[in-house]
Amino acid sequence: GAGPLDAPGASKALACSACHGLGGQSPSNTMPIIAGIAPWYFKKAIEDYAAGRRPSPEMEPYAKYVREAGIDDLAAYFASQSRQPTAVKVDAGAVERGRVASQQCVVCHVESGKGDPAKGIPDLRGQPPGYLANQMLLFKADQRSPGDPTLKALKELMKSVPDDQIADLAAYYSSLR
Amino acid sequence: APAIKGDFAPKAGRRVVVVGGGWGGATAAKYVRLADPSIEVVLLEPNKQFVSCPFSNLVLSGVRSIDGLTFGYGGLRNHGVRIYHESASAIEPDTGRVRVGDGYLQYDRLIVSPGVEFQWEQVDGLAAAQDRVLHAWKAGPQTVELARQLAAIPDGGVFVLTVPPVAYRCPPGPYERACQVAFYLKTHKPKSKLIVLDANQNVVSKAALFRAAWKDYPNLEYRASNKVVKVDPSVREVTTDLGDRVKYDVVNLIPPQRAGTIAAQADLVGADKRWCEVNHLTYESVKHKNVHVVGDSTIGLPVPKSGNIANAMGKICAVAVVHLLNGKEPPAMAPGNTCYSWVNDREAIAVVNAYKIEGGKVVQIEQKLTPGQSAQWAQNADGWARSIWQDILG
Ligand SMILES: Cc1cc2nc3c(=O)[nH]c(=O)nc-3n(C[C@H](O)[C@H](O)[C@H](O)COP(=O)(O)OP(=O)(O)OC[C@H]3O[C@@H](n4cnc5c(N)ncnc54)[C@H](O)[C@@H]3O)c2cc1C
Ligand code: HEC
Ligand code: HEC
Repeated sequence: GAGPLDAPGASKALACSACHGLGGQSPSNTMPIIAGIAPWYFKKAIEDYAAGRRPSPEMEPYAKYVREAGIDDLAAYFASQSRQPTAVKVDAGAVERGRVASQQCVVCHVESGKGDPAKGIPDLRGQPPGYLANQMLLFKADQRSPGDPTLKALKELMKSVPDDQIADLAAYYSSLR
Repeated sequence: APAIKGDFAPKAGRRVVVVGGGWGGATAAKYVRLADPSIEVVLLEPNKQFVSCPFSNLVLSGVRSIDGLTFGYGGLRNHGVRIYHESASAIEPDTGRVRVGDGYLQYDRLIVSPGVEFQWEQVDGLAAAQDRVLHAWKAGPQTVELARQLAAIPDGGVFVLTVPPVAYRCPPGPYERACQVAFYLKTHKPKSKLIVLDANQNVVSKAALFRAAWKDYPNLEYRASNKVVKVDPSVREVTTDLGDRVKYDVVNLIPPQRAGTIAAQADLVGADKRWCEVNHLTYESVKHKNVHVVGDSTIGLPVPKSGNIANAMGKICAVAVVHLLNGKEPPAMAPGNTCYSWVNDREAIAVVNAYKIEGGKVVQIEQKLTPGQSAQWAQNADGWARSIWQDILG
């Protein structure tokens, strides 16, 4: 019979679980959850890493592996995994402060936090807070996709957000379901 | 406990036996069950607990505790893996049996992941020195004892760390250890010194990154092409192949290595008498049918002897074995590798390798290094460890 590892992408995705967890369900605070990731965003992220546009010493080689192994199979596999929100706990006070501060984000990430594929905005809900905060700091320092003109507005905004508010926003988006 | 006599667990359906519950074997045992729960999996592992070598260098500097690196095998049992805390004493490929003491087990396919054994005979005086000269290259009691010796070193004392010739387990491991020992000495015993005697011509892995990290450690003296050939604990001295004698207060002698003893006894090692050659898609031994080898014991693939690779091989081999037992052609799957190394208590560096399958062989696509050392890579190292420990045992 068909086992859980029989889907075309499943065996290829075994290279990812060392960091992202089985099925993309990362247990740590630093590695993003990629279970249930939208295929359009998965593909954009992989292409950005492979081209060196989004610098990551870990992901550049693995993105090239994904291209070799078949990006469509892997995108379909991770999209088919149901996303469990992170088990990393966040402080209720930080979540509340983050909720208030998130008014500057909803224009793109929308009220629910689930983003907008039509505008290229990813889903932030339930990601580990450490991962979210780190990505915001990378935007702020123009280290994620440096110089990318399409992310100019986002980065200008991030530069105005103090670091402690970044932690609050991370806690808030991490807590969303 | 059941008596280990005769066929002590008669086989009903299809069965995979796994020898060794470390990084490769525990992963393989879990993933055979995940891929096809109708296949019985029996794991032989003498140790009741799994102690992670990755991060064990941090126990020496006191940055981590050994308890935080020690895990039980309950997760594997939850996947339906039958575990006997016993050593395999022999493998009989012709009859499809693994010997355990006075008894045996029957298998349809065998996965062997016994790690490394030390070549004690390569260093004069090492076999006789026993526990007076520590390797701490299999995480456990020796790690704790070496940490104790380091903490007890007199201020002004000399710590000698020796690096074996390639190929050995974890290419960057000795240099990460050098960082942790130097960090500890710099912080707690500022007059003490670390001498690294390396049998190799240069730092074997991440050389530029390690050498940059060592700029923070004026107490670290690195000597390349200094192979240690003799140790005498009664006078606390090692001798190199150049004839240099080096006095120590504490020594950590990492011996030369070969595949785990069971692999050598079972005639799985090649002409070099050290390592096992395998098929790159299935990890089946080129010497014996239905016997697969994963982890540090293997050779011939362009991959390092790392825990990350052992874990990747365990998964790929498990999927291949399940396909073969179901009469299907195994998919072509390439491993991946990431080795993080901590250069102090809060910063790390990393090397990442991606591979593909080409013409039935594993071929490297790319190797990438971190641009320098940072707390970010240390956090990623922590994330990696949590994920991979769960991937192996959870
Ligand atoms: C200090 C140090 C730091 C390291 N750091 C890293 C790191 O950061 N990242 C990384 O990827 N790798 C690292 N490594 C390497 C990693 O630990 C090994 O590559 C990995 O353990 C190899 O897995 P294995 O399954 O081949 O062997 P092991 O994990 O050693 O497992 C072998 C198992 O087989 C058992 N066994 C042996 N003989 C028998 C028998 N006859 N019957 C039954 N059981 C048997 C043993 O008891 C053992 O449990 C490090 C190693 C060291 C020493
Ligand atoms: C050695 C660790 C490691 C491995 C293995 C790994 N990743 Fe990653 N991955 C990371 C890190 C770290 C990040 C965040 C990098 C950054 O800062 O952009 C990441 C980010 C990602 C992202 C972007 C997520 C987001 O929300 O933007 C995707 C998609 C991804 N990885 C897919 C994969 C796939 C597919 C594989 C396997 C083929 C894989 N990764 C293997 C460490 C790893
Ligand atoms: C102008 C539009 C815009 C605004 C405003 C905006 N974002 Fe984003 N955000 C984006 C886009 C586009 C991306 C995806 C970038 C990419 O493709 O690499 C993104 C990505 C992110 C990511 C990375 C997600 C991941 O999985 O890696 C985080 C975290 C994030 N935004 C947080 C915020 C927060 C918090 C705010 C408000 C303070 C905010 N954003 C405001 C457009 C916006």
